Amino acid sequence: MSACRHLQPLLETFVDGELAAEKVVEVEQHLVDCTLCTSRVRLNEAVRLSTRQAVRSAAVPSAAFEQRLRAAFAAEREREIQAEEFLREPRGALPWRTIVPVAAAAAVTMAWAASTNESRGAHPNQDYAAANAMPLSPTANVDQLIEEFVNYHANSPAPEVTEPTLIQKLEPEVGMPVRLPSLSQYGARWEGASVVPVRNQRDQRAASLRYRVDGHRVTLYVYNSARYPLRATLEPRVVHNLPIYVGTRRGYSIAAQESRGVGYAIATDLDDRESAEIVASIH
Amino acid sequence: MQRSPALKRLSPNPRSGISPEDFEREALSQLSALLAVAGRLTRNSSEAEDLVQDTFVKAMRARQQFEPGTNMRAWLLRILTNTFINRYRRGGLERSVIEGPDADPLADGWIGSATLEAMRDPESRALRPMLAAEINRALDSIPEEFRVVVVLADVEEMSYREIADMLGCPIGTVMSRLHRGRRLLKSRLYEHARAMGIIGPEPIVGEPEAAAEAAPIDMLSWRSKKAASQ
Repeated sequence: MSACRHLQPLLETFVDGELAAEKVVEVEQHLVDCTLCTSRVRLNEAVRLSTRQAVRSAAVPSAAFEQRLRAAFAAEREREIQAEEFLREPRGALPWRTIVPVAAAAAVTMAWAASTNESRGAHPNQDYAAANAMPLSPTANVDQLIEEFVNYHANSPAPEVTEPTLIQKLEPEVGMPVRLPSLSQYGARWEGASVVPVRNQRDQRAASLRYRVDGHRVTLYVYNSARYPLRATLEPRVVHNLPIYVGTRRGYSIAAQESRGVGYAIATDLDDRESAEIVASIH
Repeated sequence: MQRSPALKRLSPNPRSGISPEDFEREALSQLSALLAVAGRLTRNSSEAEDLVQDTFVKAMRARQQFEPGTNMRAWLLRILTNTFINRYRRGGLERSVIEGPDADPLADGWIGSATLEAMRDPESRALRPMLAAEINRALDSIPEEFRVVVVLADVEEMSYREIADMLGCPIGTVMSRLHRGRRLLKSRLYEHARAMGIIGPEPIVGEPEAAAEAAPIDMLSWRSKKAASQ
């Protein structure tokens, strides 16, 4: 019976088909004589099989869900097409050239050098290679904007507007409809609003609305999501049936909701689930 | 400007590899399998749907990384599992392994061989016809650390190595979580089988000698129970 004590710990691995060949022989020989271990093996097999059948039988996708997935795929393809068109814009208008700061990452600087050096006329294709090989090109300005949102949140000056009725005065500067979501379901207190210049883009500004939620500062930005699709670099997620784009930068969480060209993004030190939840509540 | 073929290759567009149409079709053909796993991971059907949708969108974005001809389901499942772990378990999977129901030795009381045999359906390779719902409920009741590995191993039939790679932990950890998870699952199913009358009210210990070897600690309580019933 000492074979039982010795082999019993191996039975599960045996059933999983992960036991070394020489041990398999040993276990099989033991099973011939030992009804107890045989029944252990059979029960393990039965639990495995029943679990598999039970879990699989529980999942029957509804027609509505399948529809939702097809819509999600369609939206994703639409986004890809937009990104490709963005890439094909004439070179002189490529926003990354003007928006990428001088002290950017080395790869960006190299691309910059390639596009501005004197070899330009001699090797026109080299420029193109540099622009296309640079993985950031369609998203560099988006990353830049996210960076600015985080910076502004981290070091925000005193708000320009603290009177809710004056919020709409920000609209001409931002070029977007600006409303003040109450976020009261999260116990949020609104502290004020400002216009945030988008660096190196004099005509581009975002509105920032500052809140305090449970002792945490939350900055909500309203921005042009057709020009700066944050969804291009953030991670997609579904919250309350809405597509939300989430990420973290330097310890702050960023969550964005974008529809019909207007984007709402949150920068906060709350965690990414909380910021995704808050931004998903904005209509 | 005309692009040379070399530049086209450098360019991220047009996209190489699988076409979006083929990708969509292949991904949707795995929908039931993914939803099954997502359902047991999240224990909530609407969260499971969200998890599957996130998985599909992420996979669509990363589809150039998918090598046509390889296992699409395994690839999607990896994305799904990673998404689940990153989203729902910010602290990683290490936490409540020590505490929790598993620390309670009574959760895995000795079950005799005849009892074990009685839970099995002699006509099939499966358990006695327990409702799938009961098995799913039993799975849902075990801690996530163990549930994840049980689902990956027993439903998706992944190897220890594949699970270890996916969870980023050693194989030994996978084996011990799997063992604990199944032990808990069996004891839940055993309780259910008793409640349903599939097996008798008292555990029947088939071979006391073997039982003593397998569960020396529990023999004390078995003897006292036996003495009390006489």
